Amino acid sequence: MQAGHTIDAIILRVAGIMIDELKLEDITPETFDPDMDLVDEVGIDSMDLATVALVLRDEYAVRIDEDDYPKLTTIRLISTYLQNKLVEAA
Amino acid sequence: MKTVSSLLDEHWHDRYRKISRLNIRSSIYDVTNRCNLRCKGCFFFSSGEHQVAREETDIHQWEAFIDKEMDRGVNLAILIGGEPTLCLDRVEAFYKRLPTFCATNGLIKVPRDRFPDLMVGISLWGSREEETLLRGKDAFAISSKHYEGDPHTYYLYTLTPRQLGRIEPIIKKIRDVGVKVHLQLLSNDEGVDGFSWTPDELSAIRDEMDAMLDAYPDTVISSKYYHEVITTGKMMDRSFGWMECPSVTLPMDTRNPRPRRLTNFIRWASDLSTMHRCCTSETRDCRTCKDGAAHMSWVMVNKRAHMNTTQDFQNWIEVYEMFAKLYQFIPW
Repeated sequence: MQAGHTIDAIILRVAGIMIDELKLEDITPETFDPDMDLVDEVGIDSMDLATVALVLRDEYAVRIDEDDYPKLTTIRLISTYLQNKLVEAA
Repeated sequence: MKTVSSLLDEHWHDRYRKISRLNIRSSIYDVTNRCNLRCKGCFFFSSGEHQVAREETDIHQWEAFIDKEMDRGVNLAILIGGEPTLCLDRVEAFYKRLPTFCATNGLIKVPRDRFPDLMVGISLWGSREEETLLRGKDAFAISSKHYEGDPHTYYLYTLTPRQLGRIEPIIKKIRDVGVKVHLQLLSNDEGVDGFSWTPDELSAIRDEMDAMLDAYPDTVISSKYYHEVITTGKMMDRSFGWMECPSVTLPMDTRNPRPRRLTNFIRWASDLSTMHRCCTSETRDCRTCKDGAAHMSWVMVNKRAHMNTTQDFQNWIEVYEMFAKLYQFIPW
Protein backbone atom coordinates (compact mmCIF):
# COMPACT_ATOMS: atom_id res chain seq x y z
CA MET A 1 0.00 0.00 0.00
CA GLN A 2 1.29 3.48 -0.84
CA ALA A 3 2.21 5.85 1.99
CA GLY A 4 -0.68 8.16 1.13
CA HIS A 5 -3.09 5.30 1.46
CA THR A 6 -2.89 4.75 5.20
CA ILE A 7 -6.25 5.11 6.84
CA ASP A 8 -5.24 8.35 8.60
CA ALA A 9 -4.04 9.88 5.35
CA ILE A 10 -7.20 8.90 3.54
CA ILE A 11 -9.35 10.31 6.34
CA LEU A 12 -7.58 13.66 6.12
CA ARG A 13 -7.92 13.73 2.35
CA VAL A 14 -11.60 12.77 2.37
CA ALA A 15 -12.27 15.44 4.98
CA GLY A 16 -10.42 17.99 2.86
CA ILE A 17 -12.35 17.08 -0.26
CA MET A 18 -15.61 17.27 1.63
CA ILE A 19 -14.79 20.69 3.03
CA ASP A 20 -13.76 22.01 -0.40
CA GLU A 21 -16.54 20.48 -2.47
CA LEU A 22 -19.36 21.23 -0.04
CA LYS A 23 -17.91 24.61 0.96
CA LEU A 24 -18.07 23.78 4.65
CA GLU A 25 -16.98 26.71 6.79
CA ASP A 26 -15.05 27.01 10.04
CA ILE A 27 -13.59 23.53 9.91
CA THR A 28 -10.32 21.96 8.74
CA PRO A 29 -9.44 18.38 7.81
CA GLU A 30 -7.66 18.09 11.13
CA THR A 31 -10.65 19.27 13.18
CA PHE A 32 -13.26 17.32 11.22
CA ASP A 33 -14.37 14.46 13.49
CA PRO A 34 -14.11 11.38 11.23
CA ASP A 35 -16.84 9.65 13.22
CA MET A 36 -19.37 12.48 12.97
CA ASP A 37 -22.54 11.27 11.23
CA LEU A 38 -22.60 12.99 7.85
CA VAL A 39 -26.38 12.91 7.47
CA ASP A 40 -27.54 13.36 11.03
CA GLU A 41 -24.98 16.00 11.96
CA VAL A 42 -23.32 17.54 8.89
CA GLY A 43 -26.56 17.48 6.90
CA ILE A 44 -25.19 16.10 3.66
CA ASP A 45 -27.48 14.33 1.21
CA SER A 46 -26.95 11.79 -1.55
CA MET A 47 -26.23 14.54 -4.07
CA ASP A 48 -23.46 15.87 -1.85
CA LEU A 49 -22.05 12.39 -1.51
CA ALA A 50 -22.20 11.91 -5.28
CA THR A 51 -20.22 15.13 -5.71
CA VAL A 52 -17.57 13.96 -3.27
CA ALA A 53 -17.54 10.48 -4.82
CA LEU A 54 -16.67 11.95 -8.22
CA VAL A 55 -13.62 13.71 -6.82
CA LEU A 56 -12.58 10.60 -4.91
CA ARG A 57 -12.90 8.53 -8.08
CA ASP A 58 -10.55 10.89 -9.90
CA GLU A 59 -8.08 10.92 -7.04
CA TYR A 60 -8.03 7.26 -6.02
CA ALA A 61 -9.38 5.58 -9.17
CA VAL A 62 -12.03 3.96 -6.97
CA ARG A 63 -15.67 4.03 -7.90
CA ILE A 64 -18.13 4.28 -5.03
CA ASP A 65 -21.23 2.31 -5.93
CA GLU A 66 -24.40 4.37 -5.42
CA ASP A 67 -25.99 1.42 -3.65
CA ASP A 68 -23.26 1.75 -1.00
CA TYR A 69 -24.07 5.38 -0.18
CA PRO A 70 -26.49 4.60 2.66
CA LYS A 71 -23.82 2.79 4.67
CA LEU A 72 -21.13 5.44 4.13
CA THR A 73 -22.31 7.61 6.98
CA THR A 74 -19.00 8.93 8.33
CA ILE A 75 -15.68 10.03 6.92
CA ARG A 76 -14.05 7.04 8.60
CA LEU A 77 -16.46 4.63 6.90
CA ILE A 78 -15.84 6.26 3.53
CA SER A 79 -12.11 6.08 4.08
CA THR A 80 -12.21 2.44 5.12
CA TYR A 81 -14.34 1.67 2.07
CA LEU A 82 -11.75 3.38 -0.14
CA GLN A 83 -8.86 1.63 1.53
CA ASN A 84 -10.50 -1.78 1.08
CA LYS A 85 -11.06 -1.07 -2.60
CA LEU A 86 -7.46 0.01 -2.98
CA VAL A 87 -6.26 -3.20 -1.36
CA GLU A 88 -8.53 -5.25 -3.64
CA ALA A 89 -7.13 -3.46 -6.67
CA ALA A 90 -3.47 -3.84 -5.60
CA MET B 1 -19.30 24.52 10.83
CA LYS B 2 -23.01 24.62 11.49
CA THR B 3 -24.15 21.14 12.46
CA VAL B 4 -27.65 19.76 12.73
CA SER B 5 -27.49 19.55 16.52
CA SER B 6 -26.16 23.09 16.81
CA LEU B 7 -29.26 24.33 14.99
CA LEU B 8 -32.02 22.06 16.30
CA ASP B 9 -33.35 21.13 19.69
CA GLU B 10 -34.16 17.48 20.36
CA HIS B 11 -37.76 17.76 19.13
CA TRP B 12 -36.72 19.17 15.76
CA HIS B 13 -33.74 16.85 15.54
CA ASP B 14 -36.11 13.91 15.93
CA ARG B 15 -38.27 15.27 13.14
CA TYR B 16 -35.17 15.70 11.00
CA ARG B 17 -34.05 12.11 11.62
CA LYS B 18 -37.40 10.80 10.40
CA ILE B 19 -36.86 12.31 6.96
CA SER B 20 -33.11 12.65 6.59
CA ARG B 21 -32.54 9.19 5.15
CA LEU B 22 -35.62 8.81 2.99
CA ASN B 23 -33.60 9.45 -0.16
CA ILE B 24 -36.70 9.84 -2.30
CA ARG B 25 -36.03 9.39 -6.02
CA SER B 26 -39.08 10.22 -8.04
CA SER B 27 -39.86 10.23 -11.70
CA ILE B 28 -43.05 11.18 -13.51
CA TYR B 29 -44.96 9.07 -15.99
CA ASP B 30 -47.64 10.07 -18.47
CA VAL B 31 -49.85 7.01 -18.14
CA THR B 32 -52.07 7.93 -21.07
CA ASN B 33 -52.65 10.73 -23.55
CA ARG B 34 -56.39 10.64 -23.01
CA CYS B 35 -58.56 12.38 -20.45
CA ASN B 36 -62.24 12.44 -19.57
CA LEU B 37 -62.10 16.18 -18.97
CA ARG B 38 -60.55 19.06 -20.88
CA CYS B 39 -59.51 21.65 -18.32
CA LYS B 40 -58.49 25.08 -19.52
CA GLY B 41 -55.47 25.32 -17.27
CA CYS B 42 -54.12 21.87 -18.06
CA PHE B 43 -50.60 22.13 -19.48
CA PHE B 44 -50.71 18.62 -20.88
CA PHE B 45 -53.23 19.55 -23.54
CA SER B 46 -52.50 23.25 -23.91
CA SER B 47 -48.88 22.59 -24.84
CA GLY B 48 -49.66 19.65 -27.12
CA GLU B 49 -47.92 17.07 -24.96
CA HIS B 50 -50.75 14.64 -25.58
CA GLN B 51 -49.63 14.46 -29.21
CA VAL B 52 -45.87 14.03 -28.93
CA ALA B 53 -45.84 10.27 -28.39
CA ARG B 54 -47.90 7.26 -29.41
CA GLU B 55 -49.30 5.61 -26.33
CA GLU B 56 -47.85 2.18 -25.46
CA THR B 57 -50.75 -0.21 -24.99
CA ASP B 58 -48.98 -3.51 -24.26
CA ILE B 59 -49.04 -3.99 -20.48
CA HIS B 60 -46.01 -6.26 -20.64
CA GLN B 61 -44.02 -3.39 -22.13
CA TRP B 62 -45.10 -1.22 -19.22
CA GLU B 63 -44.08 -3.86 -16.71
CA ALA B 64 -40.64 -4.31 -18.25
CA PHE B 65 -40.21 -0.54 -18.40
CA ILE B 66 -41.08 -0.11 -14.73
CA ASP B 67 -38.59 -2.80 -13.76
CA LYS B 68 -35.92 -0.87 -15.62
CA GLU B 69 -36.94 2.32 -13.88
CA MET B 70 -36.48 0.63 -10.52
CA ASP B 71 -33.07 -0.60 -11.64
CA ARG B 72 -31.99 3.00 -12.11
CA GLY B 73 -33.06 3.83 -8.57
CA VAL B 74 -36.57 5.24 -8.89
CA ASN B 75 -38.43 4.68 -5.62
CA LEU B 76 -41.47 6.90 -6.19
CA ALA B 77 -43.61 6.80 -9.33
CA ILE B 78 -45.75 9.86 -9.89
CA LEU B 79 -48.48 9.03 -12.38
CA ILE B 80 -50.08 11.79 -14.38
CA GLY B 81 -51.59 11.98 -17.84
CA GLY B 82 -54.03 12.41 -19.31
CA GLU B 83 -56.19 10.69 -16.76
CA PRO B 84 -54.37 7.69 -15.29
CA THR B 85 -57.52 5.98 -14.03
CA LEU B 86 -58.56 5.38 -17.63
CA CYS B 87 -55.78 2.75 -17.66
CA LEU B 88 -55.92 1.02 -14.30
CA ASP B 89 -53.85 -1.92 -15.55
CA ARG B 90 -50.92 0.46 -16.06
CA VAL B 91 -51.48 2.07 -12.67
CA GLU B 92 -51.49 -1.41 -11.16
CA ALA B 93 -48.21 -2.31 -12.86
CA PHE B 94 -46.57 0.57 -11.00
CA TYR B 95 -48.46 0.03 -7.75
CA LYS B 96 -47.43 -3.61 -7.47
CA ARG B 97 -43.77 -2.72 -7.83
CA LEU B 98 -43.00 0.51 -6.00
CA PRO B 99 -44.49 3.41 -4.01
CA THR B 100 -46.90 5.08 -6.39
CA PHE B 101 -48.87 8.29 -6.46
CA CYS B 102 -51.76 8.73 -8.86
CA ALA B 103 -52.92 12.19 -9.90
CA THR B 104 -56.54 12.09 -11.00
CA ASN B 105 -59.58 14.28 -11.51
CA GLY B 106 -61.51 11.85 -9.31
CA LEU B 107 -64.30 11.13 -11.79
CA ILE B 108 -63.35 7.44 -11.84
CA LYS B 109 -62.96 5.86 -8.44
CA VAL B 110 -59.77 3.91 -7.85
CA PRO B 111 -61.09 0.57 -6.55
CA ARG B 112 -59.71 0.16 -3.07
CA ASP B 113 -59.99 -3.63 -3.14
CA ARG B 114 -57.42 -3.56 -5.93
CA PHE B 115 -55.38 -0.56 -4.72
CA PRO B 116 -55.80 -0.54 -0.93
CA ASP B 117 -53.22 2.12 -0.11
CA LEU B 118 -52.46 3.81 -3.42
CA MET B 119 -51.93 7.51 -2.72
CA VAL B 120 -54.45 9.45 -4.78
CA GLY B 121 -54.22 13.18 -5.42
CA ILE B 122 -57.41 14.68 -6.79
CA SER B 123 -57.19 17.89 -8.75
CA LEU B 124 -59.55 20.65 -7.66
CA TRP B 125 -59.92 24.06 -9.23
CA GLY B 126 -62.11 25.87 -6.75
CA SER B 127 -65.78 26.46 -6.29
CA ARG B 128 -68.54 24.88 -8.33
CA GLU B 129 -68.55 27.93 -10.60
CA GLU B 130 -64.81 27.80 -11.21
CA GLU B 131 -64.79 24.05 -11.71
CA THR B 132 -67.51 24.48 -14.27
CA LEU B 133 -65.78 27.39 -15.99
CA LEU B 134 -62.32 25.82 -16.15
CA ARG B 135 -63.18 22.12 -16.40
CA GLY B 136 -66.64 21.95 -17.86
CA LYS B 137 -68.15 20.31 -14.82
CA ASP B 138 -68.13 20.32 -11.02
CA ALA B 139 -65.75 17.41 -10.59
CA PHE B 140 -65.63 17.88 -6.81
CA ALA B 141 -69.27 16.88 -6.50
CA ILE B 142 -68.34 13.48 -7.94
CA SER B 143 -64.86 12.96 -6.49
CA SER B 144 -65.91 13.86 -2.96
CA LYS B 145 -68.45 11.04 -3.03
CA HIS B 146 -65.90 8.58 -4.38
CA TYR B 147 -63.23 9.35 -1.79
CA GLU B 148 -65.08 10.47 1.33
CA GLY B 149 -63.04 9.59 4.41
CA ASP B 150 -60.28 7.94 2.38
CA PRO B 151 -57.00 8.12 4.36
CA HIS B 152 -54.88 7.70 1.24
CA THR B 153 -56.38 10.60 -0.67
CA TYR B 154 -55.91 14.32 -0.75
CA TYR B 155 -57.14 17.17 -2.88
CA LEU B 156 -54.59 19.08 -4.88
CA TYR B 157 -56.33 22.42 -4.85
CA THR B 158 -55.11 24.80 -7.55
CA LEU B 159 -55.65 28.38 -6.47
CA THR B 160 -56.42 31.11 -8.97
CA PRO B 161 -56.58 34.87 -8.47
CA ARG B 162 -60.35 34.71 -8.65
CA GLN B 163 -60.42 32.72 -5.44
CA LEU B 164 -58.88 35.41 -3.28
CA GLY B 165 -60.97 35.64 -0.13
CA ARG B 166 -62.95 32.58 -1.12
CA ILE B 167 -60.73 29.67 -0.19
CA GLU B 168 -62.14 28.86 3.23
CA PRO B 169 -65.50 27.43 2.14
CA ILE B 170 -63.65 25.00 -0.14
CA ILE B 171 -61.32 23.94 2.67
CA LYS B 172 -64.33 23.38 4.90
CA LYS B 173 -66.00 21.23 2.24
CA ILE B 174 -62.86 19.12 1.98
CA ARG B 175 -62.59 18.85 5.74
CA ASP B 176 -66.20 17.77 5.91
CA VAL B 177 -65.63 14.89 3.51
CA GLY B 178 -62.73 13.76 5.68
CA VAL B 179 -59.74 14.06 3.39
CA LYS B 180 -56.67 16.30 3.31
CA VAL B 181 -55.84 19.14 0.96
CA HIS B 182 -52.65 20.58 -0.43
CA LEU B 183 -52.58 24.04 -2.00
CA GLN B 184 -50.83 25.06 -5.18
CA LEU B 185 -51.04 27.98 -7.59
CA LEU B 186 -52.27 28.07 -11.16
CA SER B 187 -49.70 28.75 -13.84
CA ASN B 188 -51.97 30.33 -16.43
CA ASP B 189 -50.53 28.52 -19.47
CA GLU B 190 -53.49 29.25 -21.68
CA GLY B 191 -53.82 32.89 -20.68
CA VAL B 192 -57.40 32.52 -19.51
CA ASP B 193 -58.73 36.00 -18.73
CA GLY B 194 -58.50 36.91 -15.07
CA PHE B 195 -56.31 33.97 -14.09
CA SER B 196 -52.82 35.48 -14.27
CA TRP B 197 -51.25 36.54 -10.99
CA THR B 198 -50.26 40.08 -10.08
CA PRO B 199 -47.71 40.70 -7.29
CA ASP B 200 -50.41 42.06 -5.00
CA GLU B 201 -52.59 39.03 -5.61
CA LEU B 202 -49.70 36.69 -4.86
CA SER B 203 -49.06 38.52 -1.60
CA ALA B 204 -52.72 38.33 -0.66
CA ILE B 205 -53.06 34.64 -1.54
CA ARG B 206 -49.99 33.87 0.56
CA ASP B 207 -51.66 35.47 3.58
CA GLU B 208 -54.79 33.48 2.90
CA MET B 209 -52.89 30.21 2.52
CA ASP B 210 -51.15 30.88 5.83
CA ALA B 211 -54.49 31.61 7.49
CA MET B 212 -55.95 28.34 6.18
CA LEU B 213 -53.00 26.38 7.52
CA ASP B 214 -53.45 28.01 10.92
CA ALA B 215 -57.20 27.45 10.99
CA TYR B 216 -57.29 23.91 9.56
CA PRO B 217 -53.99 22.27 10.52
CA ASP B 218 -55.51 18.77 10.44
CA THR B 219 -56.82 19.25 6.92
CA VAL B 220 -54.31 21.46 5.13
CA ILE B 221 -50.99 19.73 4.36
CA SER B 222 -48.65 22.61 3.75
CA SER B 223 -46.06 24.91 5.28
CA LYS B 224 -45.74 28.66 5.47
CA TYR B 225 -42.27 28.59 4.01
CA TYR B 226 -43.63 26.75 0.98
CA HIS B 227 -46.28 29.46 0.68
CA GLU B 228 -43.55 32.08 0.78
CA VAL B 229 -41.40 30.35 -1.83
CA ILE B 230 -44.20 29.61 -4.28
CA THR B 231 -45.80 33.05 -4.09
CA THR B 232 -42.58 35.06 -4.24
CA GLY B 233 -40.55 32.72 -6.47
CA LYS B 234 -37.67 33.40 -4.09
CA MET B 235 -35.64 31.15 -1.84
CA MET B 236 -32.67 32.45 0.15
CA ASP B 237 -32.46 35.50 -2.16
CA ARG B 238 -32.39 33.26 -5.24
CA SER B 239 -35.08 33.42 -7.93
CA PHE B 240 -36.83 30.38 -9.33
CA GLY B 241 -36.26 29.80 -13.03
CA TRP B 242 -34.60 27.54 -15.59
CA MET B 243 -31.17 27.80 -13.97
CA GLU B 244 -32.56 26.82 -10.57
CA CYS B 245 -35.30 24.30 -11.31
CA PRO B 246 -34.57 20.85 -9.81
CA SER B 247 -37.20 19.01 -11.88
CA VAL B 248 -35.53 18.90 -15.30
CA THR B 249 -35.30 15.54 -17.07
CA LEU B 250 -31.74 14.34 -16.51
CA PRO B 251 -30.73 13.40 -20.08
CA MET B 252 -32.10 16.76 -21.30
CA ASP B 253 -30.39 18.79 -18.62
CA THR B 254 -27.77 20.78 -20.52
CA ARG B 255 -27.45 23.55 -17.98
CA ASN B 256 -24.02 24.78 -17.09
CA PRO B 257 -23.46 25.19 -14.26
CA ARG B 258 -25.90 22.47 -13.35
CA PRO B 259 -27.91 23.39 -10.26
CA ARG B 260 -28.76 21.03 -7.45
CA ARG B 261 -31.46 18.81 -8.86
CA LEU B 262 -33.55 15.70 -8.31
CA THR B 263 -31.36 12.62 -8.68
CA ASN B 264 -32.03 10.75 -11.93
CA PHE B 265 -35.39 12.49 -12.43
CA ILE B 266 -37.07 11.86 -15.78
CA ARG B 267 -40.54 12.67 -17.01
CA TRP B 268 -41.59 9.99 -19.47
CA ALA B 269 -44.24 10.22 -22.16
CA SER B 270 -46.68 7.36 -22.57
CA ASP B 271 -44.72 5.67 -25.38
CA LEU B 272 -42.11 4.88 -22.69
CA SER B 273 -39.27 6.27 -24.76
CA THR B 274 -40.01 9.96 -25.32
CA MET B 275 -38.96 12.30 -22.54
CA HIS B 276 -40.45 15.63 -21.61
CA ARG B 277 -38.13 18.44 -20.62
CA CYS B 278 -39.43 18.82 -17.09
CA CYS B 279 -42.24 18.03 -14.72
CA THR B 280 -44.57 20.46 -16.43
CA SER B 281 -45.10 22.15 -19.77
CA GLU B 282 -42.08 22.73 -22.00
CA THR B 283 -43.76 25.84 -23.35
CA ARG B 284 -44.08 27.43 -19.94
CA ASP B 285 -41.95 30.42 -18.98
CA CYS B 286 -39.84 29.08 -16.10
CA ARG B 287 -39.70 32.54 -14.52
CA THR B 288 -43.43 32.51 -13.88
CA CYS B 289 -43.85 28.75 -13.35
CA LYS B 290 -45.80 28.06 -10.20
CA ASP B 291 -45.50 24.30 -10.23
CA GLY B 292 -45.88 23.19 -6.63
CA ALA B 293 -43.77 20.03 -6.77
CA ALA B 294 -40.94 21.87 -8.51
CA HIS B 295 -40.89 24.56 -5.83
CA MET B 296 -41.04 21.98 -3.03
CA SER B 297 -38.20 20.06 -4.62
CA TRP B 298 -36.26 23.28 -5.07
CA VAL B 299 -36.26 23.71 -1.32
CA MET B 300 -35.62 20.03 -0.62
CA VAL B 301 -32.50 19.67 -2.76
CA ASN B 302 -31.00 22.75 -1.14
CA LYS B 303 -30.77 21.43 2.40
CA ARG B 304 -27.40 22.79 3.39
CA ALA B 305 -28.30 26.22 2.05
CA HIS B 306 -30.88 26.21 4.83
CA MET B 307 -28.39 25.30 7.53
CA ASN B 308 -27.62 28.91 8.37
CA THR B 309 -30.13 29.58 11.10
CA THR B 310 -32.48 27.49 13.20
CA GLN B 311 -35.49 29.06 11.49
CA ASP B 312 -34.16 28.39 7.99
CA PHE B 313 -33.47 24.77 8.82
CA GLN B 314 -36.86 24.26 10.48
CA ASN B 315 -38.43 25.72 7.34
CA TRP B 316 -36.55 23.16 5.26
CA ILE B 317 -37.71 20.32 7.54
CA GLU B 318 -41.34 21.42 7.27
CA VAL B 319 -41.21 21.46 3.48
CA TYR B 320 -39.55 18.05 3.35
CA GLU B 321 -42.13 16.66 5.79
CA MET B 322 -44.91 18.08 3.63
CA PHE B 323 -43.55 16.32 0.56
CA ALA B 324 -43.00 13.08 2.50
CA LYS B 325 -46.60 13.17 3.75
CA LEU B 326 -48.05 13.91 0.33
CA TYR B 327 -46.29 10.85 -1.06
CA GLN B 328 -46.88 8.65 1.98
CA PHE B 329 -43.30 8.29 3.13
CA ILE B 330 -44.35 9.44 6.61
CA PRO B 331 -47.85 9.47 8.14
CA TRP B 332 -50.10 12.53 8.04
